Amino acid sequence: MSAERTKIIACSLVIEEIVPYLPSGMDCQTLDSELHVNTDVLRRSLQEAIDASTSSAEIILLGYGLCSQAVVGLQANGCTLVIPKVDDCIALFLGSEEAYKAQFKVAPGTYYLTKSWIESGRSIFDEYNILVDRYGESRALSLMRNFLKHYTRLALINTGRHELEFCRDYCLRTADRFGLRYEEIPGSSSLFERIVQGPHDNDFVIVQPNEIVTFRDFK
Amino acid sequence: MSKKLVKAIADMQEESALKQVNQMMADKVEPAVIMDDAMEAMEIVGQRFEDGTYFLPELMLAGEMMNQITEQVKPEMAKTPVTEPKGKILIGTVAGDIHDIGKNIVSFMLEVNRFEVLDLGVDVPPDKFLEAIREFKPQVVALSGFLTLAFDAMKETIEAIQGAGLRDEVKIMIGGGQVNEEINKYAGADAYGKDAMAGVTLAKKWIVAK
Repeated sequence: MSAERTKIIACSLVIEEIVPYLPSGMDCQTLDSELHVNTDVLRRSLQEAIDASTSSAEIILLGYGLCSQAVVGLQANGCTLVIPKVDDCIALFLGSEEAYKAQFKVAPGTYYLTKSWIESGRSIFDEYNILVDRYGESRALSLMRNFLKHYTRLALINTGRHELEFCRDYCLRTADRFGLRYEEIPGSSSLFERIVQGPHDNDFVIVQPNEIVTFRDFK
Repeated sequence: MSKKLVKAIADMQEESALKQVNQMMADKVEPAVIMDDAMEAMEIVGQRFEDGTYFLPELMLAGEMMNQITEQVKPEMAKTPVTEPKGKILIGTVAGDIHDIGKNIVSFMLEVNRFEVLDLGVDVPPDKFLEAIREFKPQVVALSGFLTLAFDAMKETIEAIQGAGLRDEVKIMIGGGQVNEEINKYAGADAYGKDAMAGVTLAKKWIVAK
């Protein structure tokens, strides 16, 4: 794959992990993670970004997973699309879909955080501050604890690339406040590295030019 | 007066909403009227969530208020004779998934529509569904899941039902998150519901048809 004829379109939550592996000359575009709030909006934004890239690229890489099926229905005119075969970015941070499923077996009620997620200021724990303004601290806390009642664990994923001291402090404080068990779990850069450098083996969905991404591609 | 209930629920005034229901019951207001108000309020909450005003904890509380209200009016509802045939529905969030906001709303809507509902909760393994099908003998099984990972668990649960020789005993519906016809086929269910009302419509259709 020629770096000059390859482009990556990635979510703002994962781009920081991909950049260290970005081959020189490869075009890179970031889309706001906020687009995830609405699956149709994310799909539309991804399709627009793909359409704007097909004239200059032969291969378009997506720094996304299935992401609530937002990638289903995408199509690249004359370009090959490559997408990691994972449900969402938690699996990207953990390094594989298998590692993600293993974490579900450990504790299905896990709220995952990463450095980028904490820095984005858009986790449920940031919304808590708005709830405090709206209802006062005690009621906001009870709303949050109620919401988190099936959650047992707050997990910080450490991909090993960053200084995480402030993230640990944040997660410990947050876990304590909402009655969760804090755990730091090892992540991996494997999928971030391979999406831009290859090889694109069975861990990736490869969609031929003009073909449409389907849910089955991920299974 | 009943609009006070709509406002209380929509504005997350839990205590006030429950007091209001008690008052309405004391005033001999029909349970159906109370439930209609609750549903009207839920629609407002849903709109506020869609437009970003409300967050998930608020949506969840509203769902729980619905369930509490259902519990409050149930004894009164039971006094009214059922005029149309209703049946039993087994519901639960599949293994590995702990999301239940949608499931709770579906349970509430089914109960309002006079179905007998057994809710197994969240992260329910296939074995638990099998056990409950044998004991509760539902006509309909409703599998819920929010994560795309849950689609595999739905498939596995339905395969387990098939493997236990119980597939012909029940109709199976799935719902939650981005469930669609493709996922319905993938999981091997009979139909999917895009929202709570669609689930009720399916249950009515199936149970009358059986």
